[in-house]
Amino acid sequence: MVSSINPSVKMIAIVIPGLILSLAFDVMTPLIFFLYLLMVTVFFSGVNLKKWLMFFIPLSVFALMLAWTSMIHTDEKYAGGDILVDFWWIEITTGSLQVGISLALRSMCFIALTLLFALTTDPTKLMLSMMQQLKLPPKLTYGILAGYRFLPLFKHELDLLRQAHQIRGVSRTKGIKGRIQRFKRYLIPLLANAIRKSERVANAMESKGFTGSRERTHYHDIQVQKRDWMFLASMVSALVLAFYLSYTFGYLNIFGKTF
Amino acid sequence: MSHSPLLQLEHFTFSFEEDEKPVINDLSFQINEGESVLLMGASGSGKSTLALCLNGLYPEAVEGISSGDLYFRGININEFKKGELNQQIGIVFQDPESQFCMIKVEDELAFTLENLSIPRKEMVEKIDHVLDLIGMKPYKQSKIHELSGGQKQKIALAAVLLMEPKLLILDEPTANLDPVSSLEFIELIGELQAKSSMSIVVIEHQADDWVTLIDRVLVLDQEGQLTLDGNPSDVFQTHAEQFKQEGLFLPQDFSGHQSPKQQPSPIASTHPCMTINHLSFTRKNKTILDELTFKIYPGKLMAIVGQNGAGKSTLLQLMARLLKPKHGSITFEGLPLHEWNEPKLRQRTGFVFQNPEHQFITDTVYDEIAFGLRLNNESEEKVKTVVQQLLNTFHLSEQQWRNPFSLSGGQKRRLSVATMLDETPDLLLFDEPTFGQDAYTTQELMNMIMNLKQKGTAIVFVTHDINLVDQYADRVMVLNEGKIAHDGIPERLWQDEDLLKEARLRKPYRLERNEVESIGLIH
Repeated sequence: MVSSINPSVKMIAIVIPGLILSLAFDVMTPLIFFLYLLMVTVFFSGVNLKKWLMFFIPLSVFALMLAWTSMIHTDEKYAGGDILVDFWWIEITTGSLQVGISLALRSMCFIALTLLFALTTDPTKLMLSMMQQLKLPPKLTYGILAGYRFLPLFKHELDLLRQAHQIRGVSRTKGIKGRIQRFKRYLIPLLANAIRKSERVANAMESKGFTGSRERTHYHDIQVQKRDWMFLASMVSALVLAFYLSYTFGYLNIFGKTF
Repeated sequence: MSHSPLLQLEHFTFSFEEDEKPVINDLSFQINEGESVLLMGASGSGKSTLALCLNGLYPEAVEGISSGDLYFRGININEFKKGELNQQIGIVFQDPESQFCMIKVEDELAFTLENLSIPRKEMVEKIDHVLDLIGMKPYKQSKIHELSGGQKQKIALAAVLLMEPKLLILDEPTANLDPVSSLEFIELIGELQAKSSMSIVVIEHQADDWVTLIDRVLVLDQEGQLTLDGNPSDVFQTHAEQFKQEGLFLPQDFSGHQSPKQQPSPIASTHPCMTINHLSFTRKNKTILDELTFKIYPGKLMAIVGQNGAGKSTLLQLMARLLKPKHGSITFEGLPLHEWNEPKLRQRTGFVFQNPEHQFITDTVYDEIAFGLRLNNESEEKVKTVVQQLLNTFHLSEQQWRNPFSLSGGQKRRLSVATMLDETPDLLLFDEPTFGQDAYTTQELMNMIMNLKQKGTAIVFVTHDINLVDQYADRVMVLNEGKIAHDGIPERLWQDEDLLKEARLRKPYRLERNEVESIGLIH
């Protein structure tokens, strides 16, 4: 299961394909890799598919819109080929269609990759692993963890602020200027409280003997095992395979250059 | 009990800035091994700052300036390495929300042990043992944010106990807890005290529940100097007058007089100011309030009590039209609440929040009070007279050009009420306005509320403070699991033992003490 993979290794296994994939301008390479990602998500991630779709669909719609825009505004350099559609001001050529579809598929790959990471990774384990494997300083990792706890508190406080200001009649001030002022009024108490809270947490942490020193023991010993390397290897091989297949079928296009 | 000094201060002075007046001023005293000390002082007397100085966090953490000497078991604290002294002196802080950095209980406790570089093999045993000690074993795998305030404070205590400190400092640990949780926490400290030789310093405004646990009382004055130091009967009896002059409240065991019942207000109107009919509210398919029906009358103070999550704040928000009811109706002054026009409604009702800062929207105290008047297009002349009058009543004239955020806790509280009073409202709602406030501020606030009540304003007051209810409320409503479990005069509620227990409420102190006396446990 992907959720049991070491978070740091998992992160590397997600970032590498993400970076390399952004070079492929053809349709075939991201398509093959996307199919592979779907397979991993469905069979090996343990993620609830309904939950996955709830994130994936809205993000994909956004990706498709982006692809549509880039298709009708394709750079001259790539927009070669026959004209497929010439309607009013819209002109679509085979070249621009390819650019659009490729961008859509790449975006969907990024979304699938991000979800594969985000939905299977425990934030505490991620931070502990980054401290133990990637040697991030404890000051930073525990700081992020302490901050993470505050997120729901912030939302609660913003709700309270809105109510308190409504009572004072602030919503009655109109116009853009009024709106900017309202935002300013939220900001000061939110910041004041955030600073106070973080100071308190820092005091509490230091009072419990935290010095930020790397010399500490670990309750959760987060290790890198064989299966973590295998996961990384499988992701990279799938990527290589996607490029190879695309090359043999004559589709591969890197930065507008066909091979 | 041994009498060797554990901690010794010699002319210790501390200030945040070079040219500022010191927060702690020339303190010399010692705390002995095994001693339990109560440290008292009005807000701003530097109690919490002193706690952080004692465990070596200050002055370094804030780049403050200190002079004089501090010795731990005879060794100057400057000779300890970073983090070393913290392990000897543990602190439990006031705010249960901001003491943790991990999500799960187990991980938070492990965090302490990791800091001390305890080998992993020993951790599980130590964590299980400390959870057993505080009676929280079933919660080992729980998420901290899902615990109640009282449980969070116990976990904060456990995390500190894991260091096996020689001195435990409790900085108003129960100020944010409901009455029963607060008592449970204090009882837990009593049990720990019996089992260990640890010294304890308790910082607290309300000494009542702690009196039996402590050997000695220290009192700091506004200048950050030590004015009283002695055993409880010495400080609370022999020096009672001096003690009261510091703006502190004597424990009721020593103050003798029973809290007087407030005079009933002269206005005895039978015409309700607000009528609530079959009111229900649900959130995410969970019933928060279930078919509530009651009326609110002018010139009366109604208190709403009940444990956390009983729906008290939600009810208040519905009454202020900050939320929309799912079923049922609310009528205010004869007109359905949802038909009121917003400015009119806000003029005739007021809502005071738990945190006064949430209500501040301008840059000066003056503008803050003038804000509502200006919104209503009052003449600048009228604004001036009304604001001056309110500034005088609330003792804020000297601070009128200061930024509201720079005021002291008590001043902020006063200002937050003053902003609601540019016109005398018909209905004033308070959501736990005394939560975490010191006794003096509480007293001041209650005096203002009583004045308004006399003028005929209907007051609705959500609180955890049973003694306040006993002293001031004409009527008390108990919410339990979204339903009205009691609605009537406070006296009747104090007789309903079963309900008190079910809703996690305590009796007011004067009654609790009478009972203890009658079965002859003290005096």
